[in-house]
Amino acid sequence: MKDRIYKGTLMTILLIMLAGCSLPGLASTSSDTIKIGSAVTSETEILAEMLAIMIERETDAQTDIVSHLGSSIVQHQGMLRGDLDITSTRYTGTDLSGALGMDPITDPEEALEIVEREFQDQFNQTWGPTYGFDNTYTVAVTQEFADEHGIDTVSDLEPYSDDLTFGVDNSWINRKGDGYDGFQKMYFAFGKVYPMDIGLVYEAAATGSMDVVLAYSSDGRIKEFDLKVLEDDRNFFPPYDASPVVTNEILEEYPEIQDIMDRLHNQISTEQMQELNYNADVKLMNPRSVAQEFLEEHNYFEDAEMGDE
Amino acid sequence: METVEQFIFYVSQNSGYIWEQFYRHFLMAAYGVLFSAIFSIPLGILIAKYGKLSSWVLAIGSIIQTVPALGAMAVIMIAMGLGTNTVIVTLMLYSILPITQNTYVGMKEVDKNIVEAGFASGMTRFQLLRMVELPLAISVIMAGLRTALVIGIGIVAIGAFVGAGGLGAIILTGTNATNGTAIILAGAIPTALMAIIVDVFMGWIEKKLQPAKVDKPKAA
Repeated sequence: MKDRIYKGTLMTILLIMLAGCSLPGLASTSSDTIKIGSAVTSETEILAEMLAIMIERETDAQTDIVSHLGSSIVQHQGMLRGDLDITSTRYTGTDLSGALGMDPITDPEEALEIVEREFQDQFNQTWGPTYGFDNTYTVAVTQEFADEHGIDTVSDLEPYSDDLTFGVDNSWINRKGDGYDGFQKMYFAFGKVYPMDIGLVYEAAATGSMDVVLAYSSDGRIKEFDLKVLEDDRNFFPPYDASPVVTNEILEEYPEIQDIMDRLHNQISTEQMQELNYNADVKLMNPRSVAQEFLEEHNYFEDAEMGDE
Repeated sequence: METVEQFIFYVSQNSGYIWEQFYRHFLMAAYGVLFSAIFSIPLGILIAKYGKLSSWVLAIGSIIQTVPALGAMAVIMIAMGLGTNTVIVTLMLYSILPITQNTYVGMKEVDKNIVEAGFASGMTRFQLLRMVELPLAISVIMAGLRTALVIGIGIVAIGAFVGAGGLGAIILTGTNATNGTAIILAGAIPTALMAIIVDVFMGWIEKKLQPAKVDKPKAA
């Protein structure tokens, strides 16, 4: 009797497991599915959704989004192994030092040229045209503070710097090249520097806990908390222009993808990206709906082909 | 208060998505433990029979346990690629110790007199194992599976980093939003619930199997 109970339970468990095998979620996807990778930030997820919507609209391929990948290196590994066909958002600065292991370059065009060439040569991947926004580190203050002291550029802060507190990303402070050491050499030192999680700096500036913060330029919270982004007048921060990266194999199979990337080229400004991020991060909208809404609003960029050569 | 409202809003908007991730999360944990059980239970039986091996095998199991799951996943990812397979393999490794150890203990605890009685009545070694030892040890083995599965549900939550999805993905989305507490809860509460439900359910099975201790030897 007991024997039967335990055999029965075991059989049921096994059956559930076997039934699970054929589930779309866990089973390996079919070969005509294009796998698009995205990272943890809302930005990359929104853009992955945009690409997915456009690809499904233009081709007969299915898409599958692999989201929340830990870092650009994880994305890069995934591309090299063929687990991903496209990564939605890669930044020139990140991959210059990450995937390519080179020194930071401050000229945006030179940086773009290098990643385009090196990805083609080394990895047989195409670095797509930029979306038009970047996600660099930027120095930000409250609008109020900027108005009061007439500050537009980072250099304008110099006379006050000794009395100012500076809230920065944990990982930035010890970074070589474009970290705080380099910043002090190029600009000046602040009175006190507080490393913290990047998600906290915006609120810290808005509530007055910090006078100056180092923010991500495309973050929606810049808009939410009414922060002013200061111009990097000595060109210290390397560019982090965003582009999709596609393997050449999938481009050959679906040439339409090149066309889709061209149509999205220079269509999303940093301000627009801030707004899209705001919808996802602050209004808690689903990335898919954010992407859908944006594309519908712009008629899927169908007219863009004419404008951009 | 605001968090509660946001939580309700988010859950009502994304109930399908949360359910999908819940199922996916559970399956990954279950697969990992099941595949691990396929070789960990025989391994436990083996080391119970050949005592010299036991300290080695259990030591290796313990060493695996000390490696942080995120690190292990990152290394396995290089070989296995992105997605659920990496998570399942990681989980298999982490399940070795609880399952093997419990099988070992369960087998060791079987009353030697009963085994001898079985042997004396002409049972082969395999019959002894199948009809005497395993039924007596099964509830302890189940306890091992239960521990492994509850630990596993926690480990799978990290799997979102390697593109496996699951409830961990919802938690990560929440950490990224400004007022993400509600979203974090929408991922964390189902994870905790799953662990509790699994624990209670496996505990129930364990209890069901226990009386065999009194019945079985008489029947055998």
